[in-house]
Amino acid sequence: MEVTASASASRIKIRQRSHASAVLQITLLSLTLLTIYGLITIDSRNVDVFAALGDMINNFRIVFTEPRLEKLSWFDLLRELMITVSLGLLTTVIGAVFALFLALFAAQNLAPRRVNDAVKALMAFVRAVPTVLWVLFFAVAAGLGSVAAVVGMAFHSVGYLVKAYAETFEELDAGVLEALRASGANWWQTVFQAVLPSSASALLSWTFVRFEINFSVAIAMGATAGAGGIGYDMFMASAFYLDLRELGMFTYAVLLFAILLEWSATRLKVTVGARRSY
Amino acid sequence: MTILEVDSVIKRYGTETVALDNVSFSVQPGEFVAIIGPSGAGKSTLLRCINRLIDVTSGDIRFAGVSVPQLRGAALRRHRTQIGMIFQHYNLVNRLSVIENVLHGRLGYKNTLQGILGLYSEQEKRDAVRILETLGLTEQMYKRCDQLSGGQKQRVGIARALVQKPKMLLCDEPIASLDPSSAKVIMDTLQDINRTMGITVLVNLHQVDVALHYAERIIGVNKGRIIYDGAPHALSNAQIYQIYGSEAGELILDLKERYAA
Repeated sequence: MEVTASASASRIKIRQRSHASAVLQITLLSLTLLTIYGLITIDSRNVDVFAALGDMINNFRIVFTEPRLEKLSWFDLLRELMITVSLGLLTTVIGAVFALFLALFAAQNLAPRRVNDAVKALMAFVRAVPTVLWVLFFAVAAGLGSVAAVVGMAFHSVGYLVKAYAETFEELDAGVLEALRASGANWWQTVFQAVLPSSASALLSWTFVRFEINFSVAIAMGATAGAGGIGYDMFMASAFYLDLRELGMFTYAVLLFAILLEWSATRLKVTVGARRSY
Repeated sequence: MTILEVDSVIKRYGTETVALDNVSFSVQPGEFVAIIGPSGAGKSTLLRCINRLIDVTSGDIRFAGVSVPQLRGAALRRHRTQIGMIFQHYNLVNRLSVIENVLHGRLGYKNTLQGILGLYSEQEKRDAVRILETLGLTEQMYKRCDQLSGGQKQRVGIARALVQKPKMLLCDEPIASLDPSSAKVIMDTLQDINRTMGITVLVNLHQVDVALHYAERIIGVNKGRIIYDGAPHALSNAQIYQIYGSEAGELILDLKERYAA
């Protein structure tokens, strides 16, 4: 009876109010208000919203229901797609190699605090600048084209992967590192014998996430930086030839490949997982 | 001839916390010493000062004639190879096989490249296999460590320490996470290693009865100070209470005696 008495005295809260939850609620509220304000004060000029909406839906219909190739052959399509894929793959691989070593110095459990802070600050800066800007930045030196795109995209990939890798390393069991140090192993030995084997599958899945990002960025870079590939053809089809049907075909090709990528990523994770992870 | 000499060691964390307060003792080769005391008494810190996972604030530790606090680089690695360490949570690389984990004990003897690539000599591999055999782990050799039971993991931990060919074993709560029967296997193994191989064993324990049963010598620690240092049979109940800073009747030990009587 004592229990029910104390329970009925006041309602039991299961979540304690904290500073963090208050901040979250205020943020959500102000975002809602801003959105409402934006929608009310929107300036539609002379555009007839409903007619424009109808046109847009019609365009979508053409893109997705009437795709066909006009200027390019199937073989061209495949070749252009492969150019984009290799752009994504190349930048991911270059980025992953540099990131792997930098991440070792960014992880708090593997390097001194001052080194961590220096690497992390540098990488935060690299990440804060969008990929496109890095590409344009390198275009000053290399000229617009695939070289600038590769360097710029790899640059941003390093920034992204260092953070992801370093956080993976920091989750490692400190005891394992201690055990290897206690047996006389040096830093590099500990890294290769304990750190990397323990985090292999997590590193792999982060790298795949980045590959997916780089693939889509590579499409955009094809158009904006003249890096070639399917992005460039999409740009030409839409802005130059105004051919929505061919654009539709390209879109389907990209979509199909994205699904293929996702599927093989999952397959690879399962295979590696069976060998190394849980 | 002493193998280990701890001479007025002080370890402070920050300016306030004193983990070890003027600790001195020496250990003869082949001794089996149990260090007992409440949680936070400084037992783990003491063990880690001996193989320099933790730096002492002042005082000296001499192991096999070498002063430990001054060691750097290669000399420190060489020092650590002579001391095997066993942990409460085993600290194995779960995603590697048993044999790979055992061979990690050899890393201190390898150069960087050999260690990175995991290139071990045939002799080292034979030693590892033989040690696994004596510990009854032959069947598990190629299993991944996360497939083992707690007792098996701890035996892998012991194998990793033994493959170092150590002069001394430091055991930090080796049975604190094990069930009673696995705990007995581990303690028997440590005793056997001590007796047949002549390796000095220093073991931190929570369980007073286990310490009294296995150790030739007990060191009782409380708040960073050594309260008792001597034979198990000379350790009175009053002294045990002093070590744990408790009143008579507050320890599980008391219950046991009452049932036994």
